[in-house]
Amino acid sequence: MTAVAQDHANNHSEHAASGEHENHGIQRYVVIYLILLAFTGLTYVTGKMDLGDFNIILAMAIASTKATLVVMFFMHLWDEGSINRLVFVLSVFFAILLIVGVFGDLIFRLPVTMPPGMQH
Amino acid sequence: MSSSEAHAATGPNAYLAHHFEDIGTQNYAVRLGMWLFLATEVLLFAGLFLGYTVYRWMYPDTFQAAAKLLDLNMGTLNTVVLITSSFTVAWAYHAIKVNEIKKGIGLLVFTIICAFGFLFIKYGEYTHKFHVGLLPGKWYAFTGDGAPPGPANIFFAIYFLTTGLHALHVIIGMTVLVFVLVRTLKGRYHKDNYVGVELGALYWHLVDLVWIFLFPLLYLI
Repeated sequence: MTAVAQDHANNHSEHAASGEHENHGIQRYVVIYLILLAFTGLTYVTGKMDLGDFNIILAMAIASTKATLVVMFFMHLWDEGSINRLVFVLSVFFAILLIVGVFGDLIFRLPVTMPPGMQH
Repeated sequence: MSSSEAHAATGPNAYLAHHFEDIGTQNYAVRLGMWLFLATEVLLFAGLFLGYTVYRWMYPDTFQAAAKLLDLNMGTLNTVVLITSSFTVAWAYHAIKVNEIKKGIGLLVFTIICAFGFLFIKYGEYTHKFHVGLLPGKWYAFTGDGAPPGPANIFFAIYFLTTGLHALHVIIGMTVLVFVLVRTLKGRYHKDNYVGVELGALYWHLVDLVWIFLFPLLYLI
């Protein structure tokens, strides 16, 4: 490898490591946009059905899928450096931990204290 | 160092602050700062989602009946408006990055119009709820058909807190996008300097992201 080619290769790897995004064109955005619209339609249709407890599971599954697509491709986390991924994934992890963690209290303590008119 | 100083006046390096080694490092640091801020936004809304979870667990019948009093068609329309604006702001960022400035400006203007559209629809929904008394706490006075059993005022407290904070974020996001638009019109953003557009777009995507969860939780279940 010539010195010039070596230098070029170094520059390229630095470029990738510094989190510069590749140019993908807008095709990827269009595909993601159409998928998001399709999921919105699906959530509208299933939202009008009465599926019992399955409604909330389905709605949250669709919302999580849509959110993942937005974060990965509209917000470019797919191409992003590992530190930025770590920051965002950790914040989502702690948000989920907060909500899931409280269920211990909801399941075991609430029935004992029973606020007036509680329906669960 | 000397090589980067030699190129200091041209290309992306014209936008390099002296305390960064190269433009890649600078952009990386800028993005990290934005993602840290977005992480705090996620945690801000997590508190409200937790409030929703607790009260929905306690009063499931009330919440299901109260959700039916919201206008699903308006909520779905607003979802489409926000997803569309998210798409167009991503496209605007791409256009400016490849130096198609006019296209980028048009897409930014369209995105801002979508933001106004969202707020206009939300205003219509709020006006209707104020009119029929679907309000939080002691102001709750709904007596029409399908009045939910139990403390529906709790549902509407959560509805107005979450959608209100989200609407505030829409207004802030619009302001950021107008700022980006003005700077683009002044020729500040182009293929050598687009990270500012990217950060504005990231904030706007976060606004979309929050709504993706608010919509099913409030309108559908």
